[in-house]
Amino acid sequence: MSAKKFLAVVLIMLVVVSLAGCGGGQKAGQSQNQGQPADTKHGGTLQDALGGDPPGLDVQQNSMLETYYLARLLFSTLVRYKGGTTDLEPELLAEMPSVSSDGLTYHFKLKSDLKFSDGTPLTSKDVKFTFERMLKPETKAINQWVFEPIKGAKDMEDGKSTELAGFKVLNDQEFEITLESPYAPFIQNLAVPCASIYPAEATQKAGEEWTLNPIGSGPYKIAEWVHDDHITLERNANYFEKDLPYIDKIQMRIIEDEATMTMEFENGNIDILSIPDSEYPRLSSDPNFSKMIVENTPLNTYFYVMNENVKFFQDVRVRKAIAMAIDKDKILKELLNNRGIVAKGLLGPGIPGYNENNPGFPYDPEQAKKLLAEAGYPNGFEVENWQAKNETFYKRNVAIQAMLKQVGIDMKINQMDSASWRQSRNNGKVPIYLANWWADIPDPDNYMYNILHSSQTPQWSINYKNPKVDELIEKARVSTDMNERIKMYQEAEKIAIYDDVSIIPLFHIKEYYIVQPYVKDVQFHPTGIGSYNYRTMWLEKK
Amino acid sequence: MTSYIIRRLISMIPVLIGITLITFILINVVPGDPVVNMMGKRVDAQTIANIRHQLGLDRPLYIQYLDFLLKAARGNLGRSFYNHQDVMKTILQRFPATVKLSLSSMVVAIFIGLTVGIISSVKQYTFFDHSTMIIALMGISAPVFWVAIILQLIFGLKLKWFPISGYSGIECMVLPAIALGTRFAATIARMTRSSMLEVIRQDFIRTARAKGLSERVVIYKHALKNAMIPVITIIGLQVGGLLTGSILTETVFGIPGLGRLSIEAINNRDFPVIQGTVLFTALVFVFTNLIVDISYSFLDPRIRYDGGEG
Repeated sequence: MSAKKFLAVVLIMLVVVSLAGCGGGQKAGQSQNQGQPADTKHGGTLQDALGGDPPGLDVQQNSMLETYYLARLLFSTLVRYKGGTTDLEPELLAEMPSVSSDGLTYHFKLKSDLKFSDGTPLTSKDVKFTFERMLKPETKAINQWVFEPIKGAKDMEDGKSTELAGFKVLNDQEFEITLESPYAPFIQNLAVPCASIYPAEATQKAGEEWTLNPIGSGPYKIAEWVHDDHITLERNANYFEKDLPYIDKIQMRIIEDEATMTMEFENGNIDILSIPDSEYPRLSSDPNFSKMIVENTPLNTYFYVMNENVKFFQDVRVRKAIAMAIDKDKILKELLNNRGIVAKGLLGPGIPGYNENNPGFPYDPEQAKKLLAEAGYPNGFEVENWQAKNETFYKRNVAIQAMLKQVGIDMKINQMDSASWRQSRNNGKVPIYLANWWADIPDPDNYMYNILHSSQTPQWSINYKNPKVDELIEKARVSTDMNERIKMYQEAEKIAIYDDVSIIPLFHIKEYYIVQPYVKDVQFHPTGIGSYNYRTMWLEKK
Repeated sequence: MTSYIIRRLISMIPVLIGITLITFILINVVPGDPVVNMMGKRVDAQTIANIRHQLGLDRPLYIQYLDFLLKAARGNLGRSFYNHQDVMKTILQRFPATVKLSLSSMVVAIFIGLTVGIISSVKQYTFFDHSTMIIALMGISAPVFWVAIILQLIFGLKLKWFPISGYSGIECMVLPAIALGTRFAATIARMTRSSMLEVIRQDFIRTARAKGLSERVVIYKHALKNAMIPVITIIGLQVGGLLTGSILTETVFGIPGLGRLSIEAINNRDFPVIQGTVLFTALVFVFTNLIVDISYSFLDPRIRYDGGEG
């Protein structure tokens, strides 16, 4: 074969393959009218982007940000957040549930004429099916925690029962739930995307394929999913809120590279974008783009973990010395461009019990050196920080490494792949690291129990145990008096953070989005799952 | 030729078994449990044990491997631990994007590489030769993600000639093909130049010139054809590598190819997808090598594979 012929064959193959692959592409800008009234708000296609392909859309089996983000579009929950606030309101429910005086039994009533996107009715039986599916071992669910307070949940998880004892269907619209013991944030749990309601019949029929093509009762349904390329959502004509949503179609492109995603926004190919850390200084100083930036304060806390199974960290003076050696203001200013506030406790703004009068740990390297000397380490020590590979975390760790060096602590940074790191952390083996918690619900229990209760600290590699703190957290989660609960959480926080220095609170970060001027009425989900409220959002440019 | 091909196909079997065995050992030796990775912090040890049992991860390792091997022999690579999608189906869905990217970048690479290589060899030690070889060296050295971002900035963001990213039409392939292709163009150019220089000095080229053939015929018909064997070998190896996915290019340009699938599977410890992509990659490599070997006989009539040779 001559060189010319060889080239010709390659060219022909290229053309054939290219043409074959062109079928699945998006057709941006197309809009469909599905019978909604013609007005200025309805219609259009929103160009959105995700930073990664969702590992699946079964919210019971994974809690990845991308899955939760899509869950708010595809499914509905019994209750939801009102606009961008942390107040709850009914979603599938006709009214907020009533609760018995002992705080154990809740009565629920669904809206009438609810339908899933395939047109099948949504009834109490679907709700029961959803709850039980989550708790059955064969589901391989990871989010059982939302339904675990219900009576009989543990028996289902252990395979001792196939029915949820605490769930009683009264009729198609009404049901009753009895808890094992009072649990104050229970209703909050029902607003988490993983508590989305599934259609019993369709879910069972789909089997293993459910996670790839689920059916919900949310404002949108899946039109197309080309893995690692795009997901197209279209308006659910059976959505229970008539005339909503306004936007006909959402085109979600999957773009992993942050720089590429930002360039696509700049070119007008993406309508809304969470600004990557690396792009914020440039976009916020640009006269045009800075006008398009919107701030959101999600519920999160970043903190430093010191494993109390490691010899050095068994002494509270060492832990306190590290807390005083870290200049949080400097990290916030230099590395986060002031995108947040310094944390003075585990609970952040927006969470009941947040105490803005907490003193915080002042930056005082001299005092830190004294504490280290008192603890028997006048020349410091060597320790390894383990982190999953992540550029943003690495930069923050490098800054803290330099600060600890000032007081004599030589912290090496060991970057690992995420799977190895997670296994080490869950086994309680990571010596020191930068951690974060993004709240599932705006309730102090979500932070305090999940991070500081001794049943949970080993999985964080914190390995902290204080019976008094455990007792306060346990009492607070069953109390129905919010004021009493707040007092107990604040006391537990004071002991765990200021007396014991179990963790070092660093900062609560803010998120910044950049939104094209023709996208109107953007509201964000309050807990920080990055989801927008598509019920209110509309496009000026169709 | 047929018996040669059959022998080569049979010899693939131990190669493939060896590769899958090494992969199986590696994924089970390195830290990072797939179930712990999937479950997060909130799941207790009992639940993790239940899930390990359901996924068959609590069986002895040799049983797990034999199970994989027997199923793979029947074309069943299992289902992803994460999205439960059929692994074979997933690989076949991703392969067209990778083929598109590979072939388009090879077109760029071959066109630029051969042209530059031939001209450089004919005009040895001229300004063109020196400058193109320096550029070729830079092409080999430049990181592909850097070239990709520069192309995106100039031709996507500023000039708006081509899409910045995506996979929705042939225009989407232009920048990725150039980003990936220029790197290989540099290698091909250098190989073509050195191979051509060797051939040009041989007696049959002098004979061709002596009998009055034009320089064009001498170079393209006589010299180039004879210089192509090492160039084809290099191209074959590169195509094999490209067909298994180009992680960086696919990530920067948002192309849903095999490279991204493999790296996601490794990060998530999604064992069935890792095993499936490795097996598929191995198959692509051995088939590409076979095709390259067969192509030698077309380029050089002296190479024959029948009669026990090979």
